[in-house]
Formats: sequence, structure tokens, C-alpha cells
Amino acid sequence: MSTTHSKAAKKFLKNKSYAEWHDNTFWGLRVKRDSMAHQLPEWERLREAASGIKRHTLTNIDRYLEQFAEAAEKNGTIVHWAKDAEEMNQTVLSILNDNGVKKIVKSKSMLTEECEMNPYLEEHGIEVVETDLGERILQLDHQRPSHIVVPATHLSHDDVGHIFERELHTDPKNHDPAYLTYEARLSLRDEFLTAGAGLTGANFGIAETGDIVVCTNEGNADMSTSVPKLQISVIGMEKIIPDYDALSVFVRLLARSATGQPSTVYTSHFRKARPGAAPMHIVIVDNGRSDWLADQEHWETLKCIRCGSCMNTCPVYRWSGGYSYSYFIPGPLGVNLGMLRDPRKYAGNVSACTLCLSCQNTCPVKVNLGEQIYLWRQKLDSLGVANKEKKMICSVMDKVLDNPSLYNKLTGCASVINHLPAFMIENGLNPWAYGHKMMKFPPKPFHSLIKEYQKKENDSKDL
Amino acid sequence: MKVGLFIPCYVDAVFPNVGMASYRLLRHLGIDVTYPQGQTCCGQPMANAGFETKAVPLARRLNDLFEGFDYVVAPSVSCTAFIRYHYPQLLGEEGHRCRIAESTVDMVEFLHDILKVNTPLGRFPHKVSLHNSCHGVRELGLSSPSECAVPKFNKIKDLLSLVEGIEVVEPERDDECCGFGGMFSIEELAVSKIMGEKKFLRHKATGAEYITGADCSCLMHMAGVAAKEKIDGGIEFKHIVEILASEL
Amino acid sequence: MSTQKEFIERCRRAISKRYDRPSSEGLHPLTFTDTLEKFMSQAELAGCKVVEIADRSMADDVISTVYPDAKVIASNLPEVKSATLNPDTVEDAAALNHTDVGVVEARFGVAENGSVWIPQAVKERDVCFISENLVAVLPKKEIVNNMHEAYKRITLPEYGAEEFRSYGYGVFIAGPSKTADIAQVLVNGAQAARSMTLLLVG
Repeated sequence: MSTTHSKAAKKFLKNKSYAEWHDNTFWGLRVKRDSMAHQLPEWERLREAASGIKRHTLTNIDRYLEQFAEAAEKNGTIVHWAKDAEEMNQTVLSILNDNGVKKIVKSKSMLTEECEMNPYLEEHGIEVVETDLGERILQLDHQRPSHIVVPATHLSHDDVGHIFERELHTDPKNHDPAYLTYEARLSLRDEFLTAGAGLTGANFGIAETGDIVVCTNEGNADMSTSVPKLQISVIGMEKIIPDYDALSVFVRLLARSATGQPSTVYTSHFRKARPGAAPMHIVIVDNGRSDWLADQEHWETLKCIRCGSCMNTCPVYRWSGGYSYSYFIPGPLGVNLGMLRDPRKYAGNVSACTLCLSCQNTCPVKVNLGEQIYLWRQKLDSLGVANKEKKMICSVMDKVLDNPSLYNKLTGCASVINHLPAFMIENGLNPWAYGHKMMKFPPKPFHSLIKEYQKKENDSKDL
Repeated sequence: MKVGLFIPCYVDAVFPNVGMASYRLLRHLGIDVTYPQGQTCCGQPMANAGFETKAVPLARRLNDLFEGFDYVVAPSVSCTAFIRYHYPQLLGEEGHRCRIAESTVDMVEFLHDILKVNTPLGRFPHKVSLHNSCHGVRELGLSSPSECAVPKFNKIKDLLSLVEGIEVVEPERDDECCGFGGMFSIEELAVSKIMGEKKFLRHKATGAEYITGADCSCLMHMAGVAAKEKIDGGIEFKHIVEILASEL
Repeated sequence: MSTQKEFIERCRRAISKRYDRPSSEGLHPLTFTDTLEKFMSQAELAGCKVVEIADRSMADDVISTVYPDAKVIASNLPEVKSATLNPDTVEDAAALNHTDVGVVEARFGVAENGSVWIPQAVKERDVCFISENLVAVLPKKEIVNNMHEAYKRITLPEYGAEEFRSYGYGVFIAGPSKTADIAQVLVNGAQAARSMTLLLVG
């Protein structure tokens, strides 16, 4: 009985010491997040407010999108609407072509990952340079992110050192993170100076002012947009929030939840192009989101502000790694987003949850991620992707458990199993015995013991 | 007050002593407790695996069986949570009223919140590491979840403080999942096993002689993994009710 | 390509129940008895060097003490006499590359996270990022408790709302550029300023 996730996880766990390092590294982020949360007496109220504001904004997103576009256009910014990935990619390409741009620098954007924008632009002759250090490392090594906030944290400094030796010709004897970071800085500096455009994602769009708000620690979104002569920002429609009052709630939660910092180093507000630059462009993207909004059971997944705390706290993520999930976003969030995207294609991730529900306690906007995974599991059978063995086990269990006399008969003689030779129990047919020594069944189940006990109680009363 | 004792299937079959300890403890506290015969399972294993509809006949059976009790008490946090949070919907669709969802409580809740027990209970002169099961922490609220910025509390610890001679400790990462997760433990074998192993080792590192908790399934998982890996080091597992009722 | 009308119509059809906006009353955000002290300690935690000066004319002295080897200093602040480049008059953003120290004005600080608000008030704002080291001049009395108070301020003219509106850019900065993307080891100076000095005036 296995799934795409469980198979990949098994492979990941072959290197036990690496897996242990991975678990500890991401648990470290969880610990930092906890320490931040516990320093704010209003933490739980902030989460409740954030959830409420998102619910409100999402269920009035039509009005807020109109307001956002109107404000942005008043600022002199050009707003584009893309119903899907293809339209987003085409729009970005045509803006670049219109401005004669051959090379862009970009900050981290999960939306561009989702829409596979980089390969599209590259196919059309545009050079794309990632400028977030983690994303840059992965781009040089042709890998995808293993986490949405710290995309290359699964790599050791030696891994990065080897990639940089090969791609940036750094000193092969020096794998010190500070040295490697400095080398990346030098090489990226050239890219900022020679790129024709800077592209950013967006953490928030402010309906009242038309601002695109981007939070980074490296300052790469600001470098990308303050040197080249053209700025494009792409934003998923669910990232729109009403105003600064709302923004103040979200920025207080975001970095604390993500990396355990009281704020990111840079919280940047982009409203229009700087003097002498071409007009700023904003591409607002749907790509399935309006369908998800209509899903009565799962629309609240759209509240997510992409802090990644659900991944850090998820024991399954920590013990299986970002690449064990078949959707490009891993962890509890990725399980849910994958199912929204294409339930048949990504059903193999739904097993990756013990239903411990830690994720929904860390979530700064109170997305009930674990409960939603439970709901997705209920749909697998009707989607035709339920595991056949699991279905059979459940049917047999149901037959026994819905028939007390059969149940009593079986539990009454369960201890027989204790006397079976080990090969009959600890074999490939009994998955429990893969990880566990078989439990000893007692000679009598409770429902028999209690009868005897109560009889004794009554007998002693009669005396 | 009429109390019905619900002993979930795996407690019935594998941990009958936990059922007996529950019964003895309730009787010791002067409770009019009945164990209706004909109980099997709450349906949680099938539902968590994605076959909620298979839990419906079981839910109906339990609902009928426990008709007329003021409280249904079970020594299992995850079964209690399943009944409380999923039965209304499972039975609601069938047009049943859902009294059982309201009346079912875990043993810890019953002792701590309803009886408000504060008199000395059993004697257990040992060092015990407390396992805070996920569904106890995050669904029933038996302790403050480590993720939440709320004042610290732990109802299980409160109850254990009524036991003579006991020393209670908690492992590092005191409410991290042990990796059981019902069907998860056979579908995600590798992750389930490593989580169980690491969780057990954190309990072991406290120097405790026993590991206790309010859910036998977590204990069964950790015990099975520890024995398989031959790392158990003689540590024994006891449900909290067995400790509370010890030497009574 | 989709039109705005089609896009928004699709969203409208997806909404079945509209939720009201919750009141922002009742959050009771954390405040501090000594906001300046909290601000200074948070800014230091974020990696800033904090220097208190009596008036802005002392900025040059501090810059030459903290950055004795600086050759290229970029600023449009009149009191920074040591400036060798003016970001208002340079030809383009790239001209500020190889700046050793950029000096800008911050309008207020935020105690809870040690960040300062810098609305763009200069033609080439990359002075804040491309400079190896960033110096921000900040009136000591202008410290708010938290981001709720901060976002109320940025719309007020006395805190640079006009500049923010006309240049269309503003940023909260908390310390030097940072990354932990290599093996979770914290390194200052990823893509932007490698150090940050705050000059608290007053």
C-alpha cells in the first residue's frame, strides 16, 4: 500500500543522518516562530483578525479588484488581467518585447513557478535571472524549490559550494556560507546593472492605494526594480487586501510566522515607476483561483499568505522533504493546493498527513489545512483514485465492526495470533509489521473481562 | 448521573486492562457506570483513511447503544474527538439527532472538567514521561498547544499530580506527533516509523521508566517501533487511567 | 487576453456568501513604556549600528568615524557635506554602483521591529540598496510602537506622504540586507546594503 508521496519519502529516508538534519533545520524555524508568537500577547487575536479580513476580502474580491485596478491606473500604472498561466506568460513576454528587453532580473515569486514563466520566457529568447539567493542557487543547478520561503534550505553549504565552483568558478576550497553569499552578490550585481527589466511577485496588493507590497530580507526585489528601467509585478488575485489597516495586521504576522523575525528587512511599497523609467505594469492572475473560490469546502485555502510555517511544523514534511510531494508546493499547503489544481494528478500527496493538526495552529490566517486534507481524502474514492488495498481493508473492517457477534468472535480469539510463527506475521503482507514488532494480544478482550468482573461484583454484593 | 463506558475496538482487543482500569476508577469515584455490550468501533480508522461513509452505520450503532446516558466516557482522545466533531455531520445527513456527539467525553475531560476530581488517587512511585497526543491537545484541548500563544496548562498533568509518589516529565517537543495517524502508519510506513522512533527516543531521553498518555494508539505505535528497533530499553507504556487507578 | 470585465465577472459568479469585515477594535496591540529604548534594541538585533547625535550637522563626523575608508558617499541631504555623489543628479541608477556609503532620511522608526520608514525622496532610490553601507538619519522623537501605528503615519504629510505619493515608492528597512539561504547560516549583505547605521538625531 503506497502513494507517490510515501514512495518518495521512503527514498528520502534512506539517508537517515541527512533526514535528521533536515528535520532539525526546519524544526528550528518552527521554534523561532513560536518564540515570536509568544512575545506578542495579541498573537491569537491577530490571527483571528487576519483570517476575518481575508474571508471578507475574498468574498468581496470582485469589488476589491475593481478598486485596486482603479487606484493603480490613477497612479499611472498599467494593469493587465490574466485568466490563466498562458495569458500571464504571454502578457509578460509582450511587455518585454514592446520595451525591447532581452534580460530580466526577478525576485522570488511562487506565482511564476506555478505558471512556469521562466521556461516560457527562455523559449522566447529572454534571459531570466533569479536574484533571491536560494532561487539563484536552484536556477544554477536546474532544481525546483523545496520550500516556498527558504527554497534551497535542503542543500548543505557543501552542495552550494560545489554548484558555485561549477557555475561561478568560486574557490573550490571555500564552502563558507559568508564567502559563497559574497560571491553570489558580486555575480548578481552585474545582472542587476545589465538587465532591461525587473520582475517581482507580490505579498500583498492594496486595493485602496494600488500599492504592490513585497517583503524580502535580501533587498533583491528593490535592487531588481530600482536599477532596470522597467518594472513588472505579477500578483495572484487572492493577494489583494483592502487597505493599510489590513496590511498592518498581515505584515506583523508574516515574517514572525515564516522565519521568526519581527519583520522582514525590507517591506517595500511599489506604486508607480520611478522618474525616467517606463510605466510600471501589474499583471493580475486568476489561473484557477476563481474556481477554488467557488468551492464551498476548500475556498479558505485562498486565505494563505505563503509564510511556509505549515511546512516547518509538519513532521511529514520535515521527514520527507519538499521533493517528495508531486505538486510544486510541498507540505500541508501544497497537498491542498495540488488537489485544488488537479485532484486526479496530485492525489498521491493526500497520504502525507497524520492529521496532527499542528499546521492549522501555526497558520497565521487560520486555514484549516489538516481538516481540509481529511475532506480531500473523502473524495478520493469518487474521483476513482482511492487506494484499492486501503479500500478493501476498510470494507473488511466495516463488515466486522458493524457485526458485534462476528467482532466478538474474532477479538475473543485474537490471542491466537500470538502463537503464530513469526514468518506468518512479519512478512510483506502485513504492513504494520514493517515498522512494528507485533503486539501481544491479551487472552481475553475487555468485553469478556468486564462480564466476569461484574459477575464477581454482583456475587460479592449478594453475600 | 448515568454514565456509559465506551471502550473502542483496539482498546477492547489489545488493551483490556485500560478498559478495566477505567471501569474500576469510575466505580471508585462512586459513579454509576454501565458498559453496554455490543460495542465495536467509532469508525474513525475508515474515515481518516477517506471512507467516511463506512463510519455511518457504526456511528448509528453507537448512538443507539448509548441512548439515555448523561455522559459517554471513553479512555481514548482520538475516538472522542471523532465522535464529537464528525458524528453530527455523519448522523445529521441520516436525519439522526446527535446527542452522542454532545455527551461523549474522554476520561481526562470527565475526571478533570466534569467531576473536578481533586482528592488523592492511586499510588505510582515512578518517573513517567507524558505523551501529549495530537487529538487530545489540538482537538479536545487537554493542554495548551505549543503553537498557540495561550497560557500554559495541562489537564493530564493536573490529574497525575493526584497520584502518590509519581514524578512527571515531558519530552523535548512536548506535543509533536508520534507518527501513528491510523491508516497513515501503514500507508506512509517509512515516515511513520521514523517519527515513532524519534518520539520514543525523546521520551527515553527524559530518563523515565514509563511513558503514559491518554491515547493507547500512540502508545501502541511507539511501543511497536521501539521493540522492532530493539531500543525500548525496558521502558513500559501505561495509559494514564491505569496510573490513576493504580493500587486503588 | 482577458478583459477586466470578464475577469471580475468570473470572480463575482464564484462568490456565494459575502462576509463582513471584522472590526479592528479589540486587537490591543503591544505597546512599550520606553519606545525609544525598545526601538534601539530591536534595530541592533536587526543588525544596525545605532548612534545618537545632537543635531544633523554631526552626521559627517559619524560617517567618517564609522566608515573611515569610504571614498564614494552618495546623498542628497544638504547636511551631508562629505557626499561625493548626489542621487538626484546622477545620470542613472547604475551611476551609484560602487557607492561605499549612501545616506538617506528616515521619517520615523517602529519599536516592535527596529525598522524605519523611508519614503522615496530622491531621483534614484537605489542609493538605499546599491550602496555597500546605508546610513539613515532619523529624528529620535519619531518612534511608534508597532506597525498598526506605522501604517497610520505613512499617509500623513508630516511623515513624507507627499514624497511617497509623488515618487510612488516607500520602504520599511530593518537593518542590513540578510540571507540565511545557504544552510540557514545568517549572513549580512545579500544583494543590498551590507551594513546599516542609524543616526538618531535630537
